Amino acid sequence: MLYTDKTYDSQKRLTNWVRTGKESGVPGATSNGLKQYRRLFRNNINNSLSQAYPISFEVLSDEEWSTLVDEFFEKHDAKTPHIWKLPFEFYQFVKANNFSEKFNYPFLNDLVHFEWLEIEVYTMPNEYPQPYVKSGDILNNVLEVNPEYRLTQLEYPVHMYAAKESVNHKGDYFLLTYREPKTFDVKFMNLDPLHVLFFEKVANENLTANQIIDFIIDQNNSIPRDKLTKSIIGFLETMIKEKVFLGYAENYLN
Amino acid sequence: MNKKVNIGLGFRREIANEFLEANSVQPDFIEVAPENWIDLGGYWKSKFKEVTEKYPLVLHGLSLSIGSPEEPDWEFLKKLKSFIKEYNVKIYSEHLSFAKMDNAHLYDLLPIPFKDDSIKHVVKRIQQVQDFLEMKIAIENVSYYTPVDAEITEDVFVKKIVEEADCNLLLDVNNVYVNSFNHKYNAHDFIDNMPLDRVKYIHMAGHNKVSDDLIIDTHGEAIIDPVYDLFDYTLNKMKYNVPVLLERDFNFPEIKELQKEMEVLRKISLKNIDHNVVYR
Repeated sequence: MLYTDKTYDSQKRLTNWVRTGKESGVPGATSNGLKQYRRLFRNNINNSLSQAYPISFEVLSDEEWSTLVDEFFEKHDAKTPHIWKLPFEFYQFVKANNFSEKFNYPFLNDLVHFEWLEIEVYTMPNEYPQPYVKSGDILNNVLEVNPEYRLTQLEYPVHMYAAKESVNHKGDYFLLTYREPKTFDVKFMNLDPLHVLFFEKVANENLTANQIIDFIIDQNNSIPRDKLTKSIIGFLETMIKEKVFLGYAENYLN
Repeated sequence: MNKKVNIGLGFRREIANEFLEANSVQPDFIEVAPENWIDLGGYWKSKFKEVTEKYPLVLHGLSLSIGSPEEPDWEFLKKLKSFIKEYNVKIYSEHLSFAKMDNAHLYDLLPIPFKDDSIKHVVKRIQQVQDFLEMKIAIENVSYYTPVDAEITEDVFVKKIVEEADCNLLLDVNNVYVNSFNHKYNAHDFIDNMPLDRVKYIHMAGHNKVSDDLIIDTHGEAIIDPVYDLFDYTLNKMKYNVPVLLERDFNFPEIKELQKEMEVLRKISLKNIDHNVVYR
């Protein structure tokens, strides 16, 4: 750094003022000019976050939202050079600083996570599937998974109920968020634990439906195979229709 | 860009379809902030691909923060360098300001103290960036609402940095007007004191006069006549033509209004072309 300590100190005082709005004694500055900077910078952060988190913005009172934005701007050292990725740091900040407890909104961590997921999946870099074909044997061929997805566990079903109502439905919820390949629309799907197991076996282990059914029956032989197979076929057909599974992986075709 | 006069328009998502589907706007080139497009996938990646196949691309950065005390963000610069290569970008510019302090981004532009040690510091940073990117960059004179710890004037500060760093100047004519109003100096004198032989690119924009003694550089209004006049004055003094960008970031009017503004810029540029024989 070729700045003198005095110049560095002036810059530091200016940024402290901008981030906190607390008098910092910026040398040579006019009070009106400083006020403009505080207003413009704070508005910029607030606009970016309120657009990224429209549900949280709506659910929290004006005072709660302002507190959150002010504390974030003051205390969090933003790492990303891309302002559109800042909402991810906001989500982490809300979670790490227990605002859920402070505001007495048990669902808040899940809500900001849910809202971030939509942005994350909408903007995530393109990922390309392995070669696949449209026709195949649903039970005996390996399905090709749409690679543009996130699978998340939530405690409060903010994806199914209004945020405040979700408190009455606490439990284990699994949310699949994915990007539709042609329209790029983000879609959400609530999965039950059996389907999560099934989805993960396909996505991570490249197993066929029949291999996964064998695995499930090995674990619990009280499940009737016919009934399970029928239910799984229905699930797989829905997943294919919804473009979660794109087709049948060419690499595993006989 | 190979015409005698090139007038561009900022590519913004709110008016993206106008660039892609209609003929109502016909810029010679487009400009974007690389930070808003690097790492991006999905819908907007596909739109970006479409628009960059249709128009030449110029980059105007937001987050490099050339006036920050800390070292440049080499990871970001690495991505920027591949982005420049991928889209065959010929002009990359940044602001003569800082937007990050002690590695905390602030996402807007703060004025660097106009001082000799600041000049040394910023010159070194620009040289580091130019060496890394293997191209000259253009540095923009920014609007500012208060000086901070200033020991020299803004024009001397800008001129010395551009000359000592051996970089190009992105001359924002609206910023000159805004600063001359807010800080009560003569805008024409400021233009006279700029190293006009280093101007690679010009920005033109509208602003918002919020009180009798304050203008905010919003890019949300139409260009006003005194700024057109200052643009005319600047071109008349220059010995060559450079690309000119109409900046509009929000409060978008009907697209034909932006096209009209671009036509005024083109007309003024053409008027000055007789003596400005070289295009670069």
